[in-house]
Amino acid sequence: MERSDIEKLLRKVMAKFVDQEVIPVAREHDESGDFPYDLFKKIADMGILGIRYPKKVGGSGGNTTLYCITVEELARGLLSLGATTAMQCLMATDGLYRYGTDEMHEKYLRPAMRGEKIGAFQLTEPEAGSDLSNVRTRAIKSDDGWIINGMKTWSTSGPIGHFHTVLTQTDPDKGLRGLMFVFIPTDTPGFSHSKKFDLLGTRTTQMSEIYFNNCHVPDEYMLGQLGRGLDVLLTILSEIRVMTAALALGLQRAAMDDSIKYCKERVQFGRPISSYQLIQAKIANMAVNLEAGTLMSYKVTHLIDKNIPCLNEASMAKYFTTESACKAADEATRIFGAYGYSMEYNVQRYYRDNRFLLYGGGTHEVLQTTIARQYLR
Amino acid sequence: MNIITLIKQVPDTTDIKTDPKTGNLIREGIESIINPDDRHAIEVAVSLKEKYKGKSIVVSMGPPQAIDAISEAIGMGIDEGILLADRNFGGADTWATSFTLGKAIEKINAYDLILCGRQAIDGDTAQIGPQVAEFLGLPQLTYVMDIEEVDDRRIIVKRGLGNGYERVESPLPALITVIGELNKPRYPRVDLLINACKENARITLWNAADLKVSVQEIGLSGSLTRVIKTFSPKVKREGEMLKGDKGEAVGQLIERLAGNYLI
Amino acid sequence: MAIFIDYDLCTGCKRCEKICPYNGIEVKDGKAVVNERCTSCGVCIDNCPENAISSDIKEKEVPDFRDRKGIWVFAEQADGVMAKVTKELLGLGQSLAKDLNQELSAVLLGNNVGHLIEELQKYGAQRVYLAQHELLSVYQTNPYTKVISEIILHNKPSIFIIGATPIGRDLAPRISMRLNLGLTADCTELSIDQEDGLLLQTRPAFGGNLMATIKTAYSRPQMATVRPGVMESKKIGTSSNCEVIHVDSSLTKEDVVTRVLEFVGEKKKVVSLNDAKVIVAGGRGVGSEEGLKPLFELAEALGAEVAGTRIVIEEGWLPVERQVGQTGQTVRPELYVACGISGAIQHRAGMLGSRYVIAINKDERAPIFEAADWGIVGDLHEVVPTLTNAILNRKGK
Repeated sequence: MERSDIEKLLRKVMAKFVDQEVIPVAREHDESGDFPYDLFKKIADMGILGIRYPKKVGGSGGNTTLYCITVEELARGLLSLGATTAMQCLMATDGLYRYGTDEMHEKYLRPAMRGEKIGAFQLTEPEAGSDLSNVRTRAIKSDDGWIINGMKTWSTSGPIGHFHTVLTQTDPDKGLRGLMFVFIPTDTPGFSHSKKFDLLGTRTTQMSEIYFNNCHVPDEYMLGQLGRGLDVLLTILSEIRVMTAALALGLQRAAMDDSIKYCKERVQFGRPISSYQLIQAKIANMAVNLEAGTLMSYKVTHLIDKNIPCLNEASMAKYFTTESACKAADEATRIFGAYGYSMEYNVQRYYRDNRFLLYGGGTHEVLQTTIARQYLR
Repeated sequence: MNIITLIKQVPDTTDIKTDPKTGNLIREGIESIINPDDRHAIEVAVSLKEKYKGKSIVVSMGPPQAIDAISEAIGMGIDEGILLADRNFGGADTWATSFTLGKAIEKINAYDLILCGRQAIDGDTAQIGPQVAEFLGLPQLTYVMDIEEVDDRRIIVKRGLGNGYERVESPLPALITVIGELNKPRYPRVDLLINACKENARITLWNAADLKVSVQEIGLSGSLTRVIKTFSPKVKREGEMLKGDKGEAVGQLIERLAGNYLI
Repeated sequence: MAIFIDYDLCTGCKRCEKICPYNGIEVKDGKAVVNERCTSCGVCIDNCPENAISSDIKEKEVPDFRDRKGIWVFAEQADGVMAKVTKELLGLGQSLAKDLNQELSAVLLGNNVGHLIEELQKYGAQRVYLAQHELLSVYQTNPYTKVISEIILHNKPSIFIIGATPIGRDLAPRISMRLNLGLTADCTELSIDQEDGLLLQTRPAFGGNLMATIKTAYSRPQMATVRPGVMESKKIGTSSNCEVIHVDSSLTKEDVVTRVLEFVGEKKKVVSLNDAKVIVAGGRGVGSEEGLKPLFELAEALGAEVAGTRIVIEEGWLPVERQVGQTGQTVRPELYVACGISGAIQHRAGMLGSRYVIAINKDERAPIFEAADWGIVGDLHEVVPTLTNAILNRKGK
């Protein structure tokens, strides 16, 4: 007997969850700007936070495709919720999962999958964004571990996280070859954070600066090998990019769904504006971009699930879907006319939120350069 | 406690639109979902299982695609599913459906409680529960809005009757039909959902031969009623302005309302 | 089982496509094609003007039912008070009985309910089957099923109709399975087919998006439950006589398996707008929180929920979960009464799915009238109370 198709079924289940639990409260969450603990708990209860990890560590035994379907649907309801979930499933916990000890799994990974502890991933510094060779947060070897000093900025979950996977420099002379990831719980003495940033979009995302003042962590908190920080990042970089693509797809679908509904309802000159060809052109472009982006993105997830390298494809998917999402949100506000300018409708939120995707997972200027390099070398 | 839950996959009627020109239903793009009342029944089954152990089974009659409803129920925490799928089950009215479900339950044999939703949103008949109970010779408790007590021999429930509720006690095994007020169904868990879609998922397919029923007793052949025609109730707005002073206008309105069974 | 199309005969007229309850047949390239949604129900076969559709379904033989006579109505009562639906069923039964030239009977169960016979007669019953027993004093599934099934078996009626009330919907399917009878639920229309004398049972399906007409050819009595409030009751003169048949039921304590511990009456609970069957909504025209009062009174009379437009919510006259519109809820009730609502698209988008819409507004050019079935131009503060009184008067009748 033929079994159900998990990809279709999961999408259906997630769509229902988003329609019933997320969309009705999305505006409220965006306005308050608080972390959506209640939704995060519901997501955890569905086993979503462990979707990428095998059952033996308490995960749900899924894969990258199922992960991306989930975050795409969540992003359709509220982009920042999709991003928060995506972070918890991947960047915040992958190093912990791959390189952490059983004890660390017990103390941090399992609670993270149950939604009881929030994790985060810290790369960016005032002087180091796309250029990671300039990371200045310093890790110095001590007798029984590492001592960390420095700061990170644009730290997602900085004010609320329970643990961080932090990129540090062990030897500034070595540049990229001196990088190392360290696991730092926020109850480590010497850890502190600034007040929360006020953001244009993805307003439930809690961003701040974080500071390390002689933070001491044991040897086993080094994630991966000494000087191999970049390799740790590269292990999941394709997945980070395609996840960002999935977020963009979700936002795009939200913008398109709202546009379709609105243009069929809005009547001008005696007929719905959906009957005008310039509106139709906008809808057609949204649909084509969405279809192309979906094909690109899920091609990548299936490659990742088969362990086939695909960083270039992932970069292209991220670049294309994000640009499409920005266009879709822009066009949506035009279809809505003045209502697109009103805080009462959701399209303004898509318009603000989409900016986040331009920077998360690599700026497009850098992405274009790396994509071009594949063809020009 | 062994619990059997009867579920149905239905088109999501809240999505259904009618073609404004022909008045025909537009069925393209309509999602198939677990019937909403049945979702509440699944929630009862799963929460009782968590409390009292035992086995929970869902049974559904439908086309092969209805396996999705069963997979989702397993995602919610049900142990096993049985899909009754056979071309010959097609076109069944409620009598033939209840007969088929009854035969399947007899084949399962071991049960303490049978649950189903009050009614399905595609047919709204609310007949399957009582008919299956009668087929099996079990007491029935319909419109259950709360389960107060249950042990291995008896159950006490509240039945919601619109103008109030009735507290009733029944011995087990019994069949209960539930209404939405009873609980808030959980969402499926990803790990269970993944299991449900695997080759070795605990879902069994039974056809007419497995139930040892003759083709004359099931599906359209077994049905005692026949749909002889269907039509759309209403195509467009009347758009009628009611004239006269307020008394006259209201009088006309009352006539229209009564004529369309609205009061 | 399968449906076959004879392509030499098919003219692609699309009648089958229109009539199919399941969208299981479509006309493609000028010919009918059966798709995977087909359930072999056979509706298309009977309706094809070219006789181009056939199937391998063997039509069941119809047993000889010539000895089945009489229209029966279940006389629902509680605490010795006749249910309103009983009178409606008798009203319907009168016209069915007339069409078939048969007798109309009522089946009355209870304890000390003899006084209801007169009322049944007044509303058209020519005969009453009366079963009285202390175990029948409160409705319970098993004893009622047992007694009624026995009466049916002994007296062989042709038609048996029951109100689609909580009791009727609990009882009817139970009887149908015990006696192997076809049963149609929740009918809104019953009539007699002039050709074969069978009962035509019409009911809504797919959440009211489709009406289906159903026949019960293969079993007797033809059983249907009828939606309360739909049929009209008709009193008849008292001169006609009414035969009372006392039924000795063989009930014992063993027939009662469930035990009713208590009944607790409750006031109607607030229903979410999504689930509401009737919604009374106010717009800017209500003017103030006080101005919603007539809307609440109308809602009480109609069993409706009260909703508002964005402005009503923003003014704080109603809580936010009561907002209908693009930024509020999308509702699809049976009846939507828009009072003092101009009908901006913002609002209309949320209520377009309503089955029937009434608009009451001072401005005859308000766009809400375009979205309405019936419109009344006038001040809602005058029209709404008039409407409420008219509905209450009608109910009181």
